[in-house]
Amino acid sequence: MDDFIVLKNLRKVYKMGDEKIIALDNINLSIGKSEIICLLGTSGSGKSTLLNMMAGLEKPSKGEIIVNGLHLEKMSESQITKFRQLNVGFVFQSYNLISTLSAMENVSLGLTFKGVPSSKRNKIAKEMLQNVGLGDRLHHKPSQMSGGQQQRVSIARAFVDNPKIIFADEPTGNLDTKTTFEVMDLITGMAKINNQTLIIVTHDEEISSYANRIVYIRDGSIEKITQNEINAQGEMENEANL
Amino acid sequence: MNKLDLIRMGIKNLWRRKLRTFLTVLGVIIGTTSIVVMLSLGFGLSQGFEDQISQWGDLTTINVYARWVDPSMPKQEQVKLDDAAVAAFKAIPNVAAVSPTIETYGAIIDGRYVSQVPIKGIDPSSMAEFGFEVAEGRLLEHSDELTLVFGGGMTNQFWDPNSRVWREPKIDLMRDRMTLSLNPNYGYEQPGSDTPNYKEYKIKTAGVLVEGNWDTDYGVYMPIKEVQKLIKDKEKAEDVRPQPGSRDESQYQNINIKVNDMKNVQDIQQTIKDMGHEAYSLNDQLETMKQTAGIIQGVLGGIGAISLLVAAIGITNTMVMSIYERTKEIGIMKVIGASLKDIRGLFLFESASIGLLGGIMGVAFSYILSFILNQFGSSFLGDFFGMGGESKLSIIPIWLVFAAIGFSTLIGVISGYGPARRAMNLSALDAIRTE
Repeated sequence: MDDFIVLKNLRKVYKMGDEKIIALDNINLSIGKSEIICLLGTSGSGKSTLLNMMAGLEKPSKGEIIVNGLHLEKMSESQITKFRQLNVGFVFQSYNLISTLSAMENVSLGLTFKGVPSSKRNKIAKEMLQNVGLGDRLHHKPSQMSGGQQQRVSIARAFVDNPKIIFADEPTGNLDTKTTFEVMDLITGMAKINNQTLIIVTHDEEISSYANRIVYIRDGSIEKITQNEINAQGEMENEANL
Repeated sequence: MNKLDLIRMGIKNLWRRKLRTFLTVLGVIIGTTSIVVMLSLGFGLSQGFEDQISQWGDLTTINVYARWVDPSMPKQEQVKLDDAAVAAFKAIPNVAAVSPTIETYGAIIDGRYVSQVPIKGIDPSSMAEFGFEVAEGRLLEHSDELTLVFGGGMTNQFWDPNSRVWREPKIDLMRDRMTLSLNPNYGYEQPGSDTPNYKEYKIKTAGVLVEGNWDTDYGVYMPIKEVQKLIKDKEKAEDVRPQPGSRDESQYQNINIKVNDMKNVQDIQQTIKDMGHEAYSLNDQLETMKQTAGIIQGVLGGIGAISLLVAAIGITNTMVMSIYERTKEIGIMKVIGASLKDIRGLFLFESASIGLLGGIMGVAFSYILSFILNQFGSSFLGDFFGMGGESKLSIIPIWLVFAAIGFSTLIGVISGYGPARRAMNLSALDAIRTE
């Protein structure tokens, strides 16, 4: 497996007044291209911090983050922004849609920042929303949609323009069980079709079954990494669904 | 992000908060209006001064006279105002015309009406260039003998010495037969006093000047050679000899210089002073008055600027508020790929739009206010500024329109710069955590 994302001796220390809190320490991890990884841990274990650092949202205190050969820890803010624009899609627990924009505008926003002309980006956004099953909700505002629908919009937004890596931070945290599986099927299915690397952060063991590998994180360190046996079966199911 | 999308997004954001945008814009409108109107009053004042002074005479004419030299100081030599000086003045660049002038005093008799007037001799060929305009008849010509042109206000300068009350004289300057006496006290001689035996001349009228110039209204004009003759006759009658060295025939009392443009007057005046003459023009007055107008304008503009400053703080406040409200939105935009430039651009565009909109509407509002001031305000405010009738109280030059709009937009950009930087530097992570 090629090393698409490499973390070396990663350490993150927060300062709270005089006190230092070690959020992450001594993290070494390699993630291959088009791999689905689950970072599993309880709240406060540091799993979200790890995801944020891989996405360039936070700087490590020490160590290296190499994504596709690029050292994120050495990049400037604007370089990282550019990197995110070109390589990364996000799915959040709280959807993080812009409330004043319609579904289609939310999905096409990333393309807007890339300078894609409006007719083209509207066409792409429409296709993406149709892919996630919201072809009839194009012009609805987030407040007019259910949680599941909002999360689908945010998935469409994350996958628009085919990024290399998708980060999903507790993507189903606000959803009921049925919707959770629908959303997870959708995310993993799309990632597999497009050969994208998918990194899911969750505290839910059930969710972790969608991953190729599960990285258990506890108190800021990697406790263990397991290969997922169920995965082959999950893959079969997904292919059948699609 | 391309410009069009940025503009579209910015307008949408402003529209989303219509009331607040409107109130902020209103602040800029008031600020811009107060500056523009205050400055326009200054321009009106300055123009009023200019109009007033141009009533006193021509602003582009320089009056040259001989510098008085103390005869006891042997080193100083009297610079003569003679034909050589005339030629020298003509050679100065930007001089349109030069005319020597001499003046004597006499009386014009028209039936039972008499007028004591200065008789001014000038070079007939230069009259048109000096801006003399006739209301009736024509200007002087070289061949004119004992022919004169009346100043514009001369009709009312005649009176009947035998009447105790002044009545409007019934005379026609163009057609009446008139005589010229060199006796300046004609009709008012003290009984028994020894009056020299002055000559009287039959005169013809060439024309009457347009009224309204204080410099030319009072007096009559004749070709300079004619006036020189009259002076000789007068000196003979009074039995005075030209004092040696004081004034000989080749010298003039004054030389008038017409300059092609007002902006050259000061320079030419200085040149002439450097040549050893004394020079005076109404421009001297104008400069002083313009300085006064400038100071008043500065004060008024300063008062106006305060309200624009308040408006600028209003813009900053609105933008800061907007950032607080949109923290999460900014964070999301950053995470999904908005560059720092985009974020800054968006906020700067919004604040600049507020400035631009306020500027445009402020200028429009200023025009309305300026119109009202000119229409109704001049009756009482005009007195306050000491300006007469027709001058406009408030003048908005066209450059001020563009300057005001440009300035208010700039104020918008400057006011928005801090908030825009703040938005740009927001941590995306903190921003999206904000619930």
